Parts: sequence; structure tokens; C-alpha cells
Amino acid sequence: MLPFDYVRAADVDEAVNLLAADPSASYLAGGTTQLDLMKDGVLGPERLVDITRLPLRGITRSDGALHVGALTTMEELAADSAVERALPIVRQALLLGASTQLRNMATVGGNLLQRARCRYFRDPTVPECNKRDPGSGCAAVEHSARMHAVLGVSEKCIAVHASDLAVALVALDATVHLQGIPGRRSVPLTQFYRESGASPDVENVLVHGELITGVTIPMPPAAAASHYLKVRDRASYEFALASAGVVLVTREGTVEQARVALGGVASKPWRCLEAEQILTGSPATEETFREAASASVQGAWTVPGTAFKVELAQRTLVRALRTVSGVTP
Amino acid sequence: MSVVETAPLVGAGIDRVDGALKTAGAAAYPSDVNVPGQVYGALVQSTVASGRIRSVDTLAAEAAPGVLRVITHHVTPRLPDGPMTALGASPPAPLQDDRILHHGQHVAMVVAETPEEAAAAARMVAVEYAADDALTGLGDARAELVENPWGLDSDRGSVAEALATADVKVSATYTTPDNTNNPLGLFATVAVWEGGKLTVHDTTQWPSMARATFAKVFGLPETSVRVLAPYVGGAFGNGLRVWPHVILTVLAARLVKRPVKVVLTRPQMFTSIGHRPSSVQHLTLGADRSGTLTAVEHRATSPVAMEDDDYEPVAASSAVSYACANVLTRDTQARLHIPDPTSMRAPAEAQGNFALESALDELAVALRLDPVELRLRNYAENHPGNGLPWTSKALKECYLAGAERFGWSRRDPEPRSMRDGDWLVGYGMAGVTYPWYAQPCNARATVRRDGSAFVRSAATDIGTGTYTVMTQVSADTLGIPLGRVRFDLGDSDMPAAPQAGGSGLTGALATAVRDACERVVQQVLDLVREDGESPLRGCRREEVTVVDGRLHRRDRPAEGESYADVLDRHGKEELTADGTSTPADPSTLGMAPAGAFGAKFVEVRVDADLGVVRVARVVSAIDGGRILNEKTARSQIIGGTVGGIGQALFEETATDRTGRIANATLGDYLVPVNADVGDMDVVFVGEPDRATPAGTKGVGEIGLVGIAAAVANAVHHATGKRVRSLPITLDDLL
Repeated sequence: MLPFDYVRAADVDEAVNLLAADPSASYLAGGTTQLDLMKDGVLGPERLVDITRLPLRGITRSDGALHVGALTTMEELAADSAVERALPIVRQALLLGASTQLRNMATVGGNLLQRARCRYFRDPTVPECNKRDPGSGCAAVEHSARMHAVLGVSEKCIAVHASDLAVALVALDATVHLQGIPGRRSVPLTQFYRESGASPDVENVLVHGELITGVTIPMPPAAAASHYLKVRDRASYEFALASAGVVLVTREGTVEQARVALGGVASKPWRCLEAEQILTGSPATEETFREAASASVQGAWTVPGTAFKVELAQRTLVRALRTVSGVTP
Repeated sequence: MSVVETAPLVGAGIDRVDGALKTAGAAAYPSDVNVPGQVYGALVQSTVASGRIRSVDTLAAEAAPGVLRVITHHVTPRLPDGPMTALGASPPAPLQDDRILHHGQHVAMVVAETPEEAAAAARMVAVEYAADDALTGLGDARAELVENPWGLDSDRGSVAEALATADVKVSATYTTPDNTNNPLGLFATVAVWEGGKLTVHDTTQWPSMARATFAKVFGLPETSVRVLAPYVGGAFGNGLRVWPHVILTVLAARLVKRPVKVVLTRPQMFTSIGHRPSSVQHLTLGADRSGTLTAVEHRATSPVAMEDDDYEPVAASSAVSYACANVLTRDTQARLHIPDPTSMRAPAEAQGNFALESALDELAVALRLDPVELRLRNYAENHPGNGLPWTSKALKECYLAGAERFGWSRRDPEPRSMRDGDWLVGYGMAGVTYPWYAQPCNARATVRRDGSAFVRSAATDIGTGTYTVMTQVSADTLGIPLGRVRFDLGDSDMPAAPQAGGSGLTGALATAVRDACERVVQQVLDLVREDGESPLRGCRREEVTVVDGRLHRRDRPAEGESYADVLDRHGKEELTADGTSTPADPSTLGMAPAGAFGAKFVEVRVDADLGVVRVARVVSAIDGGRILNEKTARSQIIGGTVGGIGQALFEETATDRTGRIANATLGDYLVPVNADVGDMDVVFVGEPDRATPAGTKGVGEIGLVGIAAAVANAVHHATGKRVRSLPITLDDLL
């Protein structure tokens, strides 16, 4: 048996204290990834601190932003009227991101922290995984790698960050709010994640015990159009081979503002600032979109199984830009 | 030769008699079975593909909470192989020595009080291996090759001469990957020893074979073994053999003297119960300018496990699918360090048809001829091998009815010519000639004094509708209302039946059930032969009809009486008779026994930029002989079509060079979801088959075959790109 303690935290302070005091403890929210990984022997926390009763659930609106409690479920966020009206990119990312059953369990905070879907990371009988066991190597690079990442990766790890929601949120310049022993801090989501780089086991800036308490999503300008496009083999119930989240303000055929992010192809939700620079101030044309797409995949690192993703990511981004701008080739 | 009865081609599509039980969760699948005192087994599997076990350290596992026993090859007795069957023997017993023949091979079983304790302790078993270089690739030149494994290779005329003079030739290599059956129900076994008697609740498609196997392996008389499988949560061929872990479960129960239950995990479902093997196929066709085939050459290689057999004649059907004077087919198996390949819905046909029907499409393009027309020009009116007339063949009607329903005439033959916004639209089709397969079968029918009937056979219903269809056949033959007939199956104590497999069960079982029911009717007539009180006195069978439980004279319906009346008057509680069916003997039949035929028409949509492929609709026109239940047969075809879409677009078991399966979960191994299944149209054509009185031909597998080729052909029509390697994914089309 793999015994572990289970405690339910009464408030945020208690939760943070419980975790900070125990290096082998983990938070438990929806559990849709965590429990699978425990059953498969990938994670072995000795204590689970259940945070599901903490008052971190719900959506409020102020100062042109949406404030989403970390324990709000994916389904609640997708069904929110403001999201439905003004944030199609978020709603689409959520609906394409998981089945209804999962959306009813999984939380927004948990979604942002979901672990890699790498077949080698998730099988402890494979010895080589730098994410699971730093320094042990990367079996994915050696073997079947079609699902893996091409951006922000190296021979040390090519695992993809599989969240759809996070792609939409980095495109929207969302901020995550954290609470830990030193206190509270807020981090732009674009600076929250780390590329796999030298330490694939470190995926974000959280220190042990720090809890995501909420996310602030700035509302895009009223004139903006947004879209999330997810490309995959089957029509549903699969992680993205490539995805693109775009927010675009165009006026009289010219792009005034652009926010662009890619998913399914990178070790973290991939914001494409170079592509945005190319788009901003340029005519909303197929040519501009292709130029931006080309910039979005600069620095790609591929293995034979993943090479197609460099092309697929660009075509996905071009299609998403076409969709929001109404431009046809 | 029996005379085929005049009856409608398509029987009433009544609802499944077990539908309410299943939807309410009240049907006990093998994993739902629990018996008092049971304990649980968990398997330890090899992490190398070839070599020897250097050591097994079981101390930690044995000391773990709840553990009763750790079984390794050190403590396992030598066990004999199971008996030969129509499909070959089951794999050898497990844990017989220290050799490793594939990644995922069982190397130990932990038995514990709870499943969680067993699984946790199984992780503590430390196995050290002396690994050897494993042969895992089909192209590995070191692999031992088995030529013509089933004696089914064909040589007709001279292919070399015909190809030398052909006006048009197409020649290409097609590949299909390993596929994993993946029934939804996890395979489960509960083994119970009571003295010298063994009862096994098991996920099997063949209880009679399983009983014979347990008897032989454990040295018991068959009468001391009972195998139960009243409900099976799908199998697709996985349940046709007694797998090593099942033997191990029975052995464990004997060693710990408690009932033992083992439920495979999903990853174990990929390595423990067989899979459809990959194939490399070289296909060459020659034709004259009019489109008449002058040569068919089909060479296929598939892998097989190191010490196992698998019936998988991939190329064989190409010899009998079209009228062609010059034919050569070759099947070769390469022995590799891989988990056992085995039948997966439409074994061999699923792979071979993809190559043959893709090549036909390539020939149609080369000849600038319509693909349907090309097939009609090479139609085999008689069996191309022996020249005999088929017992039934309505493939032409399949082509014509399918094309009509699909709207094939709207197809512009030019690739990339049809478009709907971002989507390139493609129409593709394929023909199917499915092999005939038949086995002997037995059934028992009882009519009771209350007028109800109980009919049974040791067959299985793996979701196909056997319960329902055989209830119908029994009710029809006995003339007793459906609601008063119970058909039971899935118990090896019942009369022996063949497997639910090879598309052969319905024909064999329906014939045996009819025979048993007819014999009961005859018993009634025998009983009243000299009964002065009976209006049926002295009647011969053909003079009598049974309706609503009442037998009456055909010519004078007013003269008759009910089963209940007869049994009551004669003081009988019941009348019981056994029935049998024997397969037609092709050597004396004077005809070539036919399997099902089909034509598949598919519309695909391919995103012009993104390469995403979606199947928008499928028309399946099927000659399945007489269809006993329109609804369950249609469901079979639709289910097969979904499997075909999986084979065409999604399914690929990915194996690392180490021999480890890398995508052994349902999140990573993709099968179609509802959103991938477009409009499914099914039409049944043809006539009752002349090989059996029931007139049926099996429809369990033909639904799958032809879909992969039709999809590939449609993708070519949509995009101009010919994809010869399955599955077809967007990276092929960028």
C-alpha cells in the first residue's frame, strides 16, 4: 500500500502552514490529475491537504477584469455569462480542454498546474525521465515523440504543457495570485511558467507551500475579437497537437492590437511576442499572418517525430488569425 | 443439401433482451463477480523484451501488508500446453522458466487480501534481468521467418508473364501498425477450487474451449471444470484463447486455497491478451486497357511471438476477391520478441483488404476508370479458385445499392475537385469478400408444462446480440411468444458451442437451436401419435404449425392444442431435446461456401491547411445472407465501421525500441469518440445463403473491413495524396 495522510484545511492560512511544514505534502483540489499520478506511482505525497472547502471559489468582476477564485471549476468558468459574452477564447479553451465530467471536478488553479502528459513521465517503470528523476535522462527524445513539444525544450525534456486554458490566459495577460509563508504575491502568468531547460522538474515559480488563490483576467477591449483553435487527431477528448489563442483588435483592415499564444507545442503556454510585434500596425492580410506565424516558432528544437509540429503550429496560428479577422486567403 | 426456407430476408429488429439489465448495471460482467473468501492477484511484468531473469527478490513483497503469497517461476509447477483448437493452441503456461520473450511478460503474481495491497506489493517485487538483444522490428533481418504458415498461399496461372505483358501496372508497399483490441471491459478472472472441482468466471468468447484447456493444463476431467461467462464486456478476439495470466490465476487459487480474482489493468490489456499484428504488404496489379485484371500479386509479412501461433493469413483473400487468371499470394510470419499477436475483429482481412482495395483504387486512377466500374469488370461470378458457384453472392447488388444510397454519381473523379470552405471533400469506396468460417455447434431446448421454453448453449454474447437473436430463433421455431422464451448461454456445462468469432457463431448456433427446437416439436407429435384425445393425433411435422404456443393442423387451424395441454394430459413436466449443427462440407457441397460480401462508401473531409481528416458519412451495403435481427445486425455493422474508422485514422500501438508499449492507455491509444463518427447508413441486400437452413452469413466482422481502404481512397480523392501507411494522420497531409 502507499499510505498517506489526509487532512482538510479549514482556511487558507492553515492550508499554507500545513504544507509548508511538510516537504512531502501536496494540495488536493479536483484531483483529476493528482490522483491518477498517485495511482500510477509517479507522485507519492505522504500527506494530502484537501483545499476544496476553502473560500476560493467564484467569479467577480471589477476594474475591467474578471477575478476567478482558484477553486472555481472549469465548468463554472466556462458557463459564466461574462466569459460567454466577452471571452470566447477562454470559453473555447475550457470546452475543448476536457469532458463535462472532468470540467465539473477540475479547478482553474489545478488546471494551470496540470502535469505533463508525457508517456514516459507517467510510467515509473521507465528509468529515464528528468522531470520525474532529475539527471536520469529523457526517454521521449529517444523513442516515440509525436505528441511532444518543439518550443522551449532541449534534449533534457520535450514534454508539452497540455493545458488549453493556460494558453488562453497567457494570451490575455492574466495574473495569478499566490499565498505562501512569506506572504502574498501576484505573478503575471507569462512569468509564472518556466521552460523545461536545465531543470525540467521545475515547471513554475511556485515555492513549496505556495497556493494559487485566484486568477485575474483583464477584459480585452470591447473591439477585440478572440478565438482558441485546437488541432488534434480526433474530434474530441484529446490533448492538442497544436493550438493557438489569439486576441485581435483590427480597424479598417489594420491590426491595432494583437495577443498571440501557442499550445500543444511548447514546454509552457507559449506567448509569441515577436509575432505580436509583426502583427501590430500591419495590414490584416494572409501575408502578415504568415510572417507572424513564422516568427512564432523561431528557436524550435525538433526530433524526427515532432518535426511536423513546426509547420502545424504556424498553420494553426494563421487559421486562428483568419478566423478572428475574417480575412480569407 | 438443405432447402432454404421462405422467410423475409431481414428479421424483426427487436430490442435486446438483456438491454434493461445492462443499462441498469445489473448484468454481472466478469470483473463484477465476487465470491466469498476471495483474494486478489496482481501481476508483475518484465521490463525487458528478451533475456533471462537473473534474480527475483520477493522478500519485501512477502512482508507487505495483506500479502499471502508471491508466485514466481521458482515455485510454479511444470504445466502442459492446452489442447489444439481450430485457431491453434492457447499460449504456453506462464512462469515455466527464467526466459523472457517479450516486454510485459508476466514474471510473478502477488496474491493479497485486497486489490490495493496486491498492486502495491507487486511494485515491491525486485526482478533483475540479464537482457539480450531483442528482435522487435518487423524488418529485423535476424528474425526467423515462417513461410506459408497455414498452407494458404496461392499460385494460379503465371503472374510474372502476365505482368510482363500488362498494359497497366500498379505496384506499391502498404503498411499497417500494431492495433490493440481494447474492449471496454477489463479482462477478469475469478478462480474457485472446491476439492477437485474448478469453477472459473472468465472473460472468454469460448467457454467450451476454456474448459478443455483448464482440464488439460491442470490434469482434471472436463466434468470437473466449469467456466462461466454470461456477460462479456467486449472482446474483439481477445477472448478466443486462455491467456497465461488466466492459467496463473487458477494456479494461484490452488496454491493459496482461496478463490483468487485478477482484473487486468488497462496497460496490461495491451500486453497480456493479444493484439492485431502489424503488416508490411507488397501488392502488384496488372490489367489490360479495358480494366480487366490480368495479375494479382500480394506478399505480406506479419510478426508473430517467439513461442506462439497466430492465424493471420493477410494476403490469402486477395486470391478469391476478383476474377483473375494469374494470382500469387504469399504470407510470411517473422518471429519477434513481442507480446502475442492474436485475432482482432476481422483478423488478417482488416490488414489485407486495406492493401488490396487501395491498390484497386490506384489502378482505377491509372486507368481513368470509375472505381466501382473497375470492380464490376472483374467481378467473380464463381469462386476464382475452384470455379464453383457461390452458395450466395450479392456483391454486385452491394456495389449498386451502396453507390445509389451514397450518391456516388455526384463524384467528380478529379482529385481536389470537391470543396466545402476550408474542407476538401473526398469520396472513396472499397469492396469486401469475407471468408466463410463454420464450426459444429450444439444446443438444448426445453418446453415446460406452463408453456414456457428454456433454450441454452455454451456460447457467448460479447455484446453482439446472441441472447436476443437466439431468443427470436427459439420463439420462431417453437411458436412460443418471445416473452415466454428464455435463452441462456455462457456456461460450459451447457451443450458445447464454438467461439463467438470468425463471424461464425450466429449461423452455427441458429442452426443448432432450430434443430433442438424442431426436435421438441417432434417429441410433442410423437407423444400424441396415438393419443385419441389429441386433435394432432398421427400428424407429421410438416402437417403442423405452431403459433402462440398452440400446435395446429396446417390445413385445419381450428384443430390443435397447446404445448401445455399435451404435457398436462401426459403428466410430463417438460420435454427436452438436443440439437446440433454441422458445417457444410465444401468437398461435397458442389458450391463454394460464401462468407459475407460488402461495399463501403465513405465521404471524408480534409482540412486543406491543417490536414485534419474527418469521416463525414459511411454507407455500408452488406450481403450477410438472411439477417435474423435487423437492429442487432445493423449495430454490428455500425460497430465494425467505428472500428474501421479507428484503424484508418487513429489506432496505432506505439512500441519503443526496447519493446515497451509507449501508449498503453485509452488517453494515448486513440479510438474514435462519438464526435468522430458521422452518419452511418447500413443496407442489407442479397438472398438467404444456401449453405445452411438458417440462410445466415456472419456479420460480426465485415462491418470493419474495407473502411480503412475506403477512407484512404477518399483521402486521395480529396487531396491527391496517396497514403499507404495506417493510420492516416494530419502529419501525412500537411
